[in-house]
Amino acid sequence: MNQIPLSHILFVSTALFFIGMYGLFTRRNMITMLMAVELILNSVNINFIAFNKYLYPEKLEGVFFSLFIIAIAAAEAAVAIAIIINLYRNLHSIDVEAADEMKF
Amino acid sequence: MGSSSLIVLFFAGVAFAAGGIAAARFFVKGTKNRQKGEAYECGIPTSGTPWNQFSIGYYLYALIFLIFDVELVFMYPWAVAVRRIGMPALVEIVIFLFILFMGFLYAHKKGALKWM
Amino acid sequence: MWTGIMVPLRQELMVTLILFLLLFIKVGASEYRTGTILRLVNILLLANLVLGFFPCPDATLFNGMFHTGRLIVLEKNILNLGTLIVSLLAYDWLKEHRQALEFYMLLLATLTGFFFMISSGNLLMFYLGLELSTIPLTALSGFDLEKKQSSEAALKFIISSAFSSALLLFGISLLYGATGSLGFDAIPRRLDGSAFQLFAFILLLSGFAFKISVVPFHLWTADVYEGSPVAVTAYLSVISKGAVFFIFIQALYTVFRPLAGNWNRMLILLSVLTMLTGNLFALRQNNLKRLLAFSSITQSGFILAGITGSSRAGDASVIYFILIYIFSNLGAFGVVSLISAQTGRENIDDYKGLYAANPLLSWVMAISLFSLAGIPPTAGFFGKFFLLMAGAGRGNYVFIGIAALNMVIALYYYLRVIKAIFMDSQPQPIGKLKIPLLPNIAFGLCVAGILVTGVMGWVYDYIYSLSIGF
Repeated sequence: MNQIPLSHILFVSTALFFIGMYGLFTRRNMITMLMAVELILNSVNINFIAFNKYLYPEKLEGVFFSLFIIAIAAAEAAVAIAIIINLYRNLHSIDVEAADEMKF
Repeated sequence: MGSSSLIVLFFAGVAFAAGGIAAARFFVKGTKNRQKGEAYECGIPTSGTPWNQFSIGYYLYALIFLIFDVELVFMYPWAVAVRRIGMPALVEIVIFLFILFMGFLYAHKKGALKWM
Repeated sequence: MWTGIMVPLRQELMVTLILFLLLFIKVGASEYRTGTILRLVNILLLANLVLGFFPCPDATLFNGMFHTGRLIVLEKNILNLGTLIVSLLAYDWLKEHRQALEFYMLLLATLTGFFFMISSGNLLMFYLGLELSTIPLTALSGFDLEKKQSSEAALKFIISSAFSSALLLFGISLLYGATGSLGFDAIPRRLDGSAFQLFAFILLLSGFAFKISVVPFHLWTADVYEGSPVAVTAYLSVISKGAVFFIFIQALYTVFRPLAGNWNRMLILLSVLTMLTGNLFALRQNNLKRLLAFSSITQSGFILAGITGSSRAGDASVIYFILIYIFSNLGAFGVVSLISAQTGRENIDDYKGLYAANPLLSWVMAISLFSLAGIPPTAGFFGKFFLLMAGAGRGNYVFIGIAALNMVIALYYYLRVIKAIFMDSQPQPIGKLKIPLLPNIAFGLCVAGILVTGVMGWVYDYIYSLSIGF
């Protein structure tokens, strides 16, 4: 059975990275921006697992790194959503444009 | 199993599903009324729209669940390696669980787990 | 076996112990007096600082994940000292705050994160330390829950820091793909400067640049500094920035040494951009916290100038400068914090005529600002001088000339504040303010640090004897 080549997987992860970046820069809803960041983190996870399996299968460093990324992404999302809830209580909106108290 | 049998399986599946629906259309004399279009909810008539707002408290439960749920992912590699490492691994997991438990106690103390 | 782990880890363990003590009090006790606990925490932080001065052997723990040595212990001591001063300054604000214990829990969690980050010998450990410090910091910057500005600052901070750590992670993953290792000792052996590795390095560099607010990635800084509570801003601007600089310089000088030719030029460009932009925006600010935010961006540019020297003098001058920067910036932020807590006024115009009623605060502010500007009798001058000397070691005299010019521009806006304090007057000047004991001690420490550190040459010599370079 022939394997999927590494470059295909890297293509997926890079595409995911740039989709996340595009989402972060264009979306104005805070929750959606958070989702975009999660997309980037998932692309990193794919990268780690693919590199580990294809290039350096003798050690499991990449797999463990992605486990830690998942845990930290959950913590980050929890804090971010808590902050967004608090901001909603103050502003009654989750649009980033509404958060414009401070400007240059 | 080659890819040709996959294609055959795919078409057989589509034919099975589509054939059933087409046969039902053909044989059944349709009656339409409002009650029939509703979602079946254990026989109780549905009320309200599904888009109403939930209390923000549910999100807090979800967040706490998320954190404790994800932390358990570290238990799997530990469970694989614990027999080989022995005592130090046991001590470490006790410390880890202790820290998690303190977090849980803190959430409890703050009243984040109170049902509203 | 246990002492082999406990002794090198003693600073981390101590900080964690204080954290858990507070957690026990919070969970177990139904009644406690905030003031008593705040004093207890300050004493424990002092003990923590003292504990760091006991000699410690070089050690490598957990399969190379964690390593420590005299230089790293020194860096942790500097961070401990800064945290103690921040904690003393925050006393006035926290005394009335309902969640004072949580403030310390989050603060100590970030400190633990910084310690593990500085000691990391592996990219995984580095990332964990960085996130352990960043996530509580974002929560801290939203600590004034009822204030719109504070929660807005927290939002901006967490989105930008999540984005920057995502960039950093993508860089780390590519670096892992290119070198097959995450250990700091194994990576440099496999670095050859191919395009792929350079791309990974640039992603890593931009992740770092976010954290130390270097110019193309500085946009979050001013808003976060302005919106956060002043104590948190002070912590962010010195401790957070200092810790990231410590690991940044270690990473550049040891892990990325094979790419030195590449990063040197990048850093020079970033440094010039940072100094110019920080200065130009600082010129037009009226809010004092915002002015200090842009001034801290400018200081980052100067520190980068020192790093480009890529010699032992570069490393030593950066650590020395951060020590002085802690004293001078915390002095300035302390005054702002005290005045903001008691009167709620933060604009430069509000400071007009401050000298008439509060000569002590005015002098602390003036000495701190002189040190930030780098005027000779203060330690800030020696810090900047060593940084620029280290930068000049490579012969980039044009670059150093631009840096010196920027010092002159910076003088303008610092002197504007000093002029407002000492020479201008206004109809309703700030009245006589009460300075509680603990902030008074902190001011004493800051002023003593500014005046003494520069004159005592052995401080720099000691740091130089420990530092790394090539």
